[in-house]
Amino acid sequence: MNDQLDTEVKLAIYRVTADTGVIPTSSEVARKIDIEEAEVLDAFARLHKKRLLVPEPGDFSRIRMVPPFSGIATAFPVDANGRRYHANCVWDAYGVAAALHTDAMIAASDGHTGEPLWLEVKNNQPILRSYAAHFAVPAARWWDDIIFT
Amino acid sequence: MLLFRSEETVNSWCEARGIPRRPLISLAQLWQLAVHWYANRLTVESRRPVPEEMMSIFESIGLTGPFWDPKSDQWTPAN
Repeated sequence: MNDQLDTEVKLAIYRVTADTGVIPTSSEVARKIDIEEAEVLDAFARLHKKRLLVPEPGDFSRIRMVPPFSGIATAFPVDANGRRYHANCVWDAYGVAAALHTDAMIAASDGHTGEPLWLEVKNNQPILRSYAAHFAVPAARWWDDIIFT
Repeated sequence: MLLFRSEETVNSWCEARGIPRRPLISLAQLWQLAVHWYANRLTVESRRPVPEEMMSIFESIGLTGPFWDPKSDQWTPAN
């Protein structure tokens, strides 16, 4: 029962986010699929336990992350389908293009110098450059502080 | 996770913060990670990979060792 509801809530979150570039709140999801907001909040909590979303600290009606999308502006804006999305990190920036199956332009910057860097996806392939990504923490600790990771 | 123009700026970033250099990921590897993680994320059957699947994905694109083991409690910077 809960699994079916969680899937419905998750898909509604992703549909709205894909269509608008903005992650919906619990009340917006409730209106979208015509259920009580309390049910949506319970689903948010279960999806958080499954590591499928991260609520906004201090406000569980809002979502900080529903990977690869970010609920707040980040240093990884992704322009795709005529909209601007925000990704949680450079992996997720590519993830937005992969999830939407679309071309994308991603404005990023060098983590040390701040120099502007550009990533591009065309025809489901990245335009390769000699950039490097660097994880600060090992895989086993990514979810210890996922907002930092 | 951060992006850098080159290995040199990664090294400078690590030195400035006293952080050991971790493994580097190329854009080709990063794209493969994104596809494995997210290509079906907007579908009914989507889910986050379980640890064993994560290991398999990492190995398939050349990322091996305890740093990439989501169940490892053995990793240290010296690895």
